[in-house]
Amino acid sequence: MPSAFSMLRKLLKYKLADNSSEEKQAGCRGDAIRQEDSPLLEKRLDLIRKRLGESKDIVIREFSSNNNQVKLAILYVDGLVDRRLINDHIIRPIQSDFVVKNFSHRLAEKNALQLLKKHITSISEVAEAANLTQAIRMMFSGDTALLINGEEKILVYSTRAWDRRAVTEPETEPAVRGSREGFTETLRTNTALLRRRIRHENLRLESMKAGRRTGTDVVLAYINDIINPLTLEEVRRRIAAIDTDSILESGYIEEFIEDVPFSIFPQLERTERADKAAAAILDGRILIMVDNTPHVLIVPTSFFQFIQASEDYYERPHIAVVLRLLRLFVLNIALMLPAAYVAIITFHQEMLPTPLLLSIAAAREGVPFPAVAEALLMEAIFEVLREAGVRLPKTVGQAVSIVGGLVIGDASIRAGLVSPSMVIVVAVTAISTFALPAFNASIALRILRFPLIMLAGMMGLYGVIFGLVIILIHLAGLQSFGVPYLSPLAHGSVSDMLKTFARPFWWMTRRRADELGLQNMKRQAGNMGPRKTPFAKRELTHDNTEEHDAGKR
Amino acid sequence: MLEKGRISPRQTGQLLFITTIATVIFIAPSLIASLAGHDAWLAALLGPMFTLITLLLITWLGRKHPGQTIFQYSETILGKWLGKAVALLYVWGFLHIGAMAVREFGDFMTTSFMSHTPISVFNFSMLLLCAWSVLVGLEVIARMNEFIIILIVSFLLLILFFSLPNWELDYLLPFFARGPLPVLQAALIPAAWHGNIIVLAVILPFMTRPTRAFLAGTAAIFASTTLLTIGVVGMTAIFGPELSSSFLFPLHLFAQTINIGQIITRFESVVMTTWMAGIFIKTSVFYYCAALGLAQVLNLKEVRPVVLPLGIILGTLSISLFQDVTMLGNFLKETRPYYTISLYFLGLPLLLFAVTLIREKIFGVCFGEQTNEA
Repeated sequence: MPSAFSMLRKLLKYKLADNSSEEKQAGCRGDAIRQEDSPLLEKRLDLIRKRLGESKDIVIREFSSNNNQVKLAILYVDGLVDRRLINDHIIRPIQSDFVVKNFSHRLAEKNALQLLKKHITSISEVAEAANLTQAIRMMFSGDTALLINGEEKILVYSTRAWDRRAVTEPETEPAVRGSREGFTETLRTNTALLRRRIRHENLRLESMKAGRRTGTDVVLAYINDIINPLTLEEVRRRIAAIDTDSILESGYIEEFIEDVPFSIFPQLERTERADKAAAAILDGRILIMVDNTPHVLIVPTSFFQFIQASEDYYERPHIAVVLRLLRLFVLNIALMLPAAYVAIITFHQEMLPTPLLLSIAAAREGVPFPAVAEALLMEAIFEVLREAGVRLPKTVGQAVSIVGGLVIGDASIRAGLVSPSMVIVVAVTAISTFALPAFNASIALRILRFPLIMLAGMMGLYGVIFGLVIILIHLAGLQSFGVPYLSPLAHGSVSDMLKTFARPFWWMTRRRADELGLQNMKRQAGNMGPRKTPFAKRELTHDNTEEHDAGKR
Repeated sequence: MLEKGRISPRQTGQLLFITTIATVIFIAPSLIASLAGHDAWLAALLGPMFTLITLLLITWLGRKHPGQTIFQYSETILGKWLGKAVALLYVWGFLHIGAMAVREFGDFMTTSFMSHTPISVFNFSMLLLCAWSVLVGLEVIARMNEFIIILIVSFLLLILFFSLPNWELDYLLPFFARGPLPVLQAALIPAAWHGNIIVLAVILPFMTRPTRAFLAGTAAIFASTTLLTIGVVGMTAIFGPELSSSFLFPLHLFAQTINIGQIITRFESVVMTTWMAGIFIKTSVFYYCAALGLAQVLNLKEVRPVVLPLGIILGTLSISLFQDVTMLGNFLKETRPYYTISLYFLGLPLLLFAVTLIREKIFGVCFGEQTNEA
């Protein structure tokens, strides 16, 4: 049987591979262009018009040099370029008296490329595209192509300028203390934000492309001499293996490169905060930045990254320790409070102290549903409210919260449909979910809550623990780019464990985390502990001031 | 290789610790107390020391046959057929001990928590989890264990700590009143449970540093002995030897006595959580050993095909081996120590040890070098 399956799989794979390669051939128009391409300007422009169709945003402007020796054409996408730059620094110098004065006798088709590039046009970033396909691809990123009659190569000027969102505070990850700069949709801005934070020669921004039709830029950011090279190789390999039409958000990439895509737990960390991203790079991790989205991905990651916030590292460490323990507690509440409540109310009433049991029993009197149904109903309603609150415009959102809070909370209790204790449980759970810093981790908890409630309704606490053990088996088996997901709690060193649950003082963190297998473990010098001003020196300054004072007197 | 994962010495020690402490602290105290009376703690302290002999034998054999599990080197030592017979005996042993653990848990659940639910629900659902963890492999079990060990140890210490106000140390007197014999007899009970470190004979070749096996085993034995002794002292100090010997699951009642300021009370659920987590790891380890053993005896390429049949056998055994709790208790007290120690924990390892020595010293066979391909 297994052999038959593997045979089938092999066959299928073969088929799939076959299809994709054919498709690739068909999908790649570049070859066709290359064959028909010719250095003659007229033919080239015809070819371009044929290939690109009647798109109004593509501007083709033909002109000739001042001495009438060279025919040229400029090609750009309107809206992606700075027009003034093109007018002032490409077209004008070529047509101006400047050419007449200095180059009129020399400028001809055969040396136009070098002269234009080196002497005439005045834009800092110029590239030579070897063929038309490449030039067109660059044009779609906002560059301007300068076609020269009779010249195979094409000059491509960097003139990118489009309407971009300003760098603002990241809305999904606000912080009291720390940088308020969040990433934007423009990749270049984002890399600049990183460079501004890490001014070191070894910060590498490695560029890749993904998405056949979207041609999305993907940048891997890392520090060359810290990072584990095996991890980097693996990330590169997985991203290069992506062969898809479109990458519109980093979420696409996340799904393509995850170790276990079926898992409900996110195996990549995601952030909008520039400072958090920089910190991750300095920890020896790799950043995957995708154009057109402010959300960058961090690999590898572990489960306990989700109880850490960047603010922990800015405020006093004491509060960070307390907050992390609190978040761990809150994580448990968010996952299993309703389930535990249902289990106790249905199966283990003896576990509650008698007065509490009596008050809950009194509150539940007249509620027509069993506790499981009640819990599932309330949790479902809460999810609906939440979803409505996210999607609706802000003005209507107010109405939703009034309807939700008043009608569903208050009226349903008065009508005797749900017990007040259940509303409290659901509300506490909801708030706990919001208290977690990582949104994508709380999604997993929100979903897992429901099966746990059902298990609790079936088998009581045994069912809850049964469910938790299933989650644990799953988590223990997960890996994120070779790092066990439960590390450093499982499979980690003691110092990593301490660093995860208790943020040490900065002068104590001499080493980076062991779990990543980095090249460079040393973070800083070790002798920066608490130092007092030498006693004698203090005496001296004191004496000095006194003498000084005395002298005055 | 059937198992691709590797576990560190620390993880090995933790696995050995959990496989012993998970059941011994829940069941053994009452059995020990019924035999040794006031001196139960002495028996709990002495018993596990016997196990050091087993540990020495296993690690010695493991060093002689690097890269091989007990199922493999029994064949190397005793020849094909006799070796396979010994290996199968061990497979049965792991199944039997695993089934007992599952049964203990099922009985605990049905007698103390959910008396209307049939025991098969607990046994089979537990085995379902264990089967999954066996499929995902030793490395994942070890990782889960690192998580669970924190839970178990902290909960046990919490229970013991909160019960401190109720302790009456007078119950521990008179000391040594009945002489050494009952103490030694009772010491066999914890020894029988600590003999569970025989699983080291299976997981030793999967350690990252097999030379640390002895250290890991010793640490596990000492840690669990300490915890067991504290538990036995606490139980004797609260119930007295007579009362604590009359319950099969004294820790459960022990937790019920906790009452601090009317708030910290009703700790039974904590006991249940702890025990379930512990039994899960313990059964997974034994189940894993049995499955790996059977796969190696049958020369299979992977463990997968034997997991389901073994699980069904385990579940059936756990239900049909004993008629009720009393029979289970009697078996654990009167038969199990002699059966497991004489056969699995001491008898067969001694046999393998002796034959290895004889073949080496008298016949000049050199073990250790032939196993290069393993």
